[in-house]
Amino acid sequence: MGSLPKAPWLLSYLRGKGVEPSDLDHLTKWSKISGFEAESETRFILAQPKSPDTERRLRELASLLGIRVLESAGLDYVYDGEANRIEMYEHPIRNSSGFRFYGHVRSFDDRYYRKAACVQKVGFRTAYHLVEFTFVKQRAKRKIKVPVTGPYTLAEWSFNEFYQKRLASQYIDFRKLKFDAKRDFVLDLAREIVRPNLQRLVEAGAEWIQLDEPAAVTRKDEIPFFVEAFNECTAGLVCKLSVHICYSNYRLLYPHILDLKNCSQLALEFANRDAYNELKLLHEFDDKREVGLGVVDVHVDTVESPELIRDRINYAVKLLGDPERIYVNPDCGLRTRTWEISYAKLCNLVKGAALAQEQAS
Amino acid sequence: MAALGPVLFQAYELTRNSLEHSRSTFTRLIPTGIFAPENINIGIFGMGPFQQTSEGKAMLKADLAGVFPRSETLVEATRANVRGRLSREQLDAAFDRDYAALVSLQMEADLDPIVDGQLNWQDHFRPFSELFTGIKVGSLTRWFDNNTFYRQPIISGKIGYRGTSLQRYFRGDILPAEGRKKAVLPGPLTFAKLSQNMAYRSLADLVEDLARALKDTTTELSKAGYEYFQFDEPALVFDQIGKEELEAARRGFEICATGTGGEVALKTYFGDVGHIMNALLDFPVDCIGIDLYATSIESLAKYDFDISLSCGCVDGRNSLVESPNDLKGLLARVRDNVRSEQLVISPNCDLEFLPYSVAEKKVRLLSETRKVVSE
Repeated sequence: MGSLPKAPWLLSYLRGKGVEPSDLDHLTKWSKISGFEAESETRFILAQPKSPDTERRLRELASLLGIRVLESAGLDYVYDGEANRIEMYEHPIRNSSGFRFYGHVRSFDDRYYRKAACVQKVGFRTAYHLVEFTFVKQRAKRKIKVPVTGPYTLAEWSFNEFYQKRLASQYIDFRKLKFDAKRDFVLDLAREIVRPNLQRLVEAGAEWIQLDEPAAVTRKDEIPFFVEAFNECTAGLVCKLSVHICYSNYRLLYPHILDLKNCSQLALEFANRDAYNELKLLHEFDDKREVGLGVVDVHVDTVESPELIRDRINYAVKLLGDPERIYVNPDCGLRTRTWEISYAKLCNLVKGAALAQEQAS
Repeated sequence: MAALGPVLFQAYELTRNSLEHSRSTFTRLIPTGIFAPENINIGIFGMGPFQQTSEGKAMLKADLAGVFPRSETLVEATRANVRGRLSREQLDAAFDRDYAALVSLQMEADLDPIVDGQLNWQDHFRPFSELFTGIKVGSLTRWFDNNTFYRQPIISGKIGYRGTSLQRYFRGDILPAEGRKKAVLPGPLTFAKLSQNMAYRSLADLVEDLARALKDTTTELSKAGYEYFQFDEPALVFDQIGKEELEAARRGFEICATGTGGEVALKTYFGDVGHIMNALLDFPVDCIGIDLYATSIESLAKYDFDISLSCGCVDGRNSLVESPNDLKGLLARVRDNVRSEQLVISPNCDLEFLPYSVAEKKVRLLSETRKVVSE
């Protein structure tokens, strides 16, 4: 779907901690499994003192390893496991203007993310996925799908200081103030930051971009903002476009999500909640788009069997009526799992899809 | 001096919440006559409704809502522990340092009562999978409309109080002997609604048993010196609630909120309490907490509050730090619209949605606001 865990040797090197023997063992193991062709070069650079050149090249090699791991698992569409992104929220925010980071907030259990406040009008600073995409396009042997965090999620996961302060004197009702300020924030993110980034990716040859919007259903009254922002940032782009939403009440998306223009696929999570019955919503609302079917749970270490995955796919085919509408993927990114668990899940995903395909033909 | 302005009453009558709680200074007032704050005899009322400054001025009460964020140091410690780089003992020591810092922060801000911040709670319900029978831990679920998640309790059997790990989750041992200790617990209706019920035939039955188990919890906490119990009920206000659920909640509070030996608050947040306030006034509680960022203040104008009103006026979900004068203005709007003789100021919800550095500022803001309001 998006992320893989980060290469430990890259993290050790970038942090200036010194590369451990276990990091090198990791490199050896995953080079062998994936057919990674640059193990020797990677080892050589890891032994060099850190410099801008060594850092840049190691990041490319981590990206290449991610590509090869996904290809070796058998996926039809790959990226690089988001090898060089800090994290889906922090990476675009750090590379845009108007934000200040205050510290960590809790996501769940002992997992946190660094949350920023929007303190000025947001602005484009750099095409934060372009270098990474250009490299992946040069080196991938399979087709590419580029994950990009969407504007609604970037807004929802930030504190809205600037747009709320800007409107405060005009409101006595805090609910209305927050609602209107949020819309301003989301649409500015769509226009000023996400759209320029998408445009540059398409110009560089991106053929499929997935907008990641895990926050889309957080506030049901604001779902129209998410739709409006998606349309604002993708208008006129000649590219396959999909949206990924997870851990949400999908009923709340309808009927608003029918107004997404130029969106050919909904990539949804089902395995975590065993919620495949929610596919009936597409039939109920006559939504004929493709579905990116989440078949493995990315928050548990249990590795789903190919047979279980096959059964999930078969059930989805039964509900949707057309196997051609179904793309099979993990519920979400795998960065919270180990490499071993992530790879096992991906391999079984591919095997499960093959079993389902066999039965269908 | 008229810190809160003149207030109209019908009758004065003192009642005590618990005869055996001789130290309790809580009183329930059904006041009468017109008075200004300088007429209140602090000697009769003890700790409430106002604390008294050394200059003899009456000051608004303030306290925290519940879960406090972990400091950056503690965040790193928990991560290191998960990765096997920090032992359990070292992690416990890191938690203890954060607990101590939070207690100091509240004491410096002169807050009353004091909380432990629930720093080692993974979510609002997790401790109860140990404290109660009949609960398993389920899958990740969004916590209302926030970007935080809880593991949904699965009600797998009869709910009862077991008491395992009570002292681990309610850190009365680190709270100071002077000042009142506040325990924050999920309310029975919210607990029931946000769980996956696999064992009870009706929500009302589940609410009742949860209320009994919560009552047993407060009984044990009372023995440990807790004098204030806050039951969080965001599910009462987040979405429209039906009459049956409201009645189930009320019956639940009849069980868990009475005879605790201390003061009891029902705290609502993430939604407008105005449309159910009439019903909430029949709940046997001493204080109702409202979220001023989600509630129409004007909708409260038709009610007479003979109990405390905790005004959630510090926004726990935006890093924008309000100014004391802005909050003074907001509280003035409350006083213009709401007939209550006892106002308390607090964050509208837990401060856990903020980074630690911002949450610290919001605590100090409570203290600064009290001073500005009392001027």
